[in-house]
Amino acid sequence: MKRAVAVALLLGAVLPGGCRKKAPVSGNLNVANKVAVRMVRLYFESPQMQLVAEPRNIALPESPAAAMPVVVRELMKGPIAAGGKSLRLFPADTVVRGTYLLPGGTVVVDLGGTTLSQGWGTGSHQELLAAYSLVQTLTANFADAKRVRIVVNGSPAETLAGHVSLSRSLVPAPALVDAR
Amino acid sequence: MKRLLSLGILAVLAAASIVLAQTSGQGTLRTATGDQPFTFVLQSGQTYVNAEQVTAGLGGTLAPDSSGFRVTIGSATAAFGPDSRYGVVRDDLIEMPVPPISIEGAPYVPWQFFQGFLAKAASLDVTWDAGTKQLSVKPLQRDAVGVQVSVADVQGISKIVLTLSAPAEYGIVKEPQAYVVRFRVPVRAPFGEQAYEDPHISRVSFTGSDLRIHLTGADVAGDAYQLENPPRIVLDFRKGAAPVPGAPALPVPAPAREVPGIRTIVIDPGHGGREVGAVGPNGLMEKDVTLAISRKLAASLSNKLGARVVLTRDDDSVVSLDQRTALANQYKADLFLSVHMNAAVVKDAKGSETYFLSLEASDELAKKAAESENASAGSNPNADLNLILWDLAHQAYVGESSRFAQAIQEEMNAATAVANRGVKQAPFKVLVGATMPAALVEVGFISNPEEEAKLQSEEFQNLMVETLTKAVQRYKTDYETRIGVIQPAPAPAATTTTAPATTPAPKPATAPAPAAPQTRTER
Repeated sequence: MKRAVAVALLLGAVLPGGCRKKAPVSGNLNVANKVAVRMVRLYFESPQMQLVAEPRNIALPESPAAAMPVVVRELMKGPIAAGGKSLRLFPADTVVRGTYLLPGGTVVVDLGGTTLSQGWGTGSHQELLAAYSLVQTLTANFADAKRVRIVVNGSPAETLAGHVSLSRSLVPAPALVDAR
Repeated sequence: MKRLLSLGILAVLAAASIVLAQTSGQGTLRTATGDQPFTFVLQSGQTYVNAEQVTAGLGGTLAPDSSGFRVTIGSATAAFGPDSRYGVVRDDLIEMPVPPISIEGAPYVPWQFFQGFLAKAASLDVTWDAGTKQLSVKPLQRDAVGVQVSVADVQGISKIVLTLSAPAEYGIVKEPQAYVVRFRVPVRAPFGEQAYEDPHISRVSFTGSDLRIHLTGADVAGDAYQLENPPRIVLDFRKGAAPVPGAPALPVPAPAREVPGIRTIVIDPGHGGREVGAVGPNGLMEKDVTLAISRKLAASLSNKLGARVVLTRDDDSVVSLDQRTALANQYKADLFLSVHMNAAVVKDAKGSETYFLSLEASDELAKKAAESENASAGSNPNADLNLILWDLAHQAYVGESSRFAQAIQEEMNAATAVANRGVKQAPFKVLVGATMPAALVEVGFISNPEEEAKLQSEEFQNLMVETLTKAVQRYKTDYETRIGVIQPAPAPAATTTTAPATTPAPKPATAPAPAAPQTRTER
């Protein structure tokens, strides 16, 4: 609500000078920013070395586009379930710079952080599961998300760690997910 | 509902327009068909253009979507969303300096959105002149593109490789007894016409920006794909298609080609230089183990299989992933094996696994792109066929890659105490674009201290070399049996685990290799 008021005030103050009249946005921003607690499924590595879901209740904006970065940031925190045995896949210093839902179902996920920026030294298994944990988490929780395109520090990247091609979008790979 | 949707998206776009709007005005969209006015805004040094007006000026339409707007011009559709400085056209990203905004209820995009969209979808160049306030759209002005032509008979398939000095837009048109590669840019031709002694290609000629490949018969069918780094167009010709009605059949010269088989093998030691790969708990670096094993493997394959073996790197240097595959293609390799060590967060992870390429995402999107391209070709009476298929070069080799990977994994299982993690598929960059059976083997988990110690030992490395040699030999025998090649006497069973590293391998009589770059080692 605060944001909506701020935006409306700013637009009201600014646009008449530069353009003509303020955009009618405040009511819609209320809807976009409505927050509710929702259970999401975050995918980490199981001891059997497959992706396994950890359910987690988090406060999410109603709008999928606004909720996606929240979910991805939650994924980057790693598993927290009490007694859980699943494991974090991304480096702990990974930063989620943004996620963008584009028409047609492509989600662009912009990652950063020291390790990904300076060269992540890991094997194909961890890199593969990390990339697909993002794909699986987004596509499992958002019907609008069909595929994921990963960029690093705002630019297209070849790979995260020298193996998995990021030059195209990734779609879910059920073979990597623990079906149990 | 649509209106609500649109308002919602505009609301989010408006949230991005908090920054002061400084100036606005009328611009002119200048295209080949005339001038159209549009509104622009200059804000924080960035020029935003009214997306709807510019789209309409280009003869297209703009429509709201659940998560942004779709812009359709001709047969091409691009999209942009709120808060995102990325747009998308097909599966390609359009990068904008800043996200779109909303002003007075209308979406405004950085003018670079149209620059990226039209360059990727229509070979058009869009420029903005702040002085004249003109947004100009014209064909991409490029210098003439140099084209080098090489023709080779590879395992019964005539392969013509057009190596370009720079990426260029083109289309392929089928004529009764020729294929025409029609470049949309000026071309520097290396010759006017050249004849070839080839079972499927009689000559190649240039006329303006058209490169015409004359076929030896109407029953020769072609397939095409693109490769990058350097940009290349590859066309494969073989017999099999029904003759084009009315086209006279030409006598086919007797083929005079080499015996097909596995003759050239490229071994790729993973990582290198500052790209160290995975690092073991005791500091062993993946790049060092991959190089050690690959060097020994190259020597072993040379000696035991009589194969010509090329290493993508023979020292601790950085070689890009594209370069590795390009090298294998350049050498017309019959087999490509990338050697890696694995790593996982599961501490006791162990075992070997072998991968071949999957392009699941690319497949789906490339099919759509190809359909779109073919639909466009269909509307052109001069274009019978359009074979632009993005970089699906590897598709034809997926079956063989699977067999190769299977042979590797079975030999690993049989010969070592390393746990079997099986044959898998993944979109690994180093396998993309390889025009031969290709696999990536993960020998063991360097992240596991026990396996790290093994991987460091000479004994285990030699065992891996012996095992991989057997796997390649097994695949070679299987492949050559299936294609009907008479096998030479089987190689004697290996009695030592390490072959001398300096014995040169015999080279095949044909398919001469290009000069080896300094960083490559041919054994």
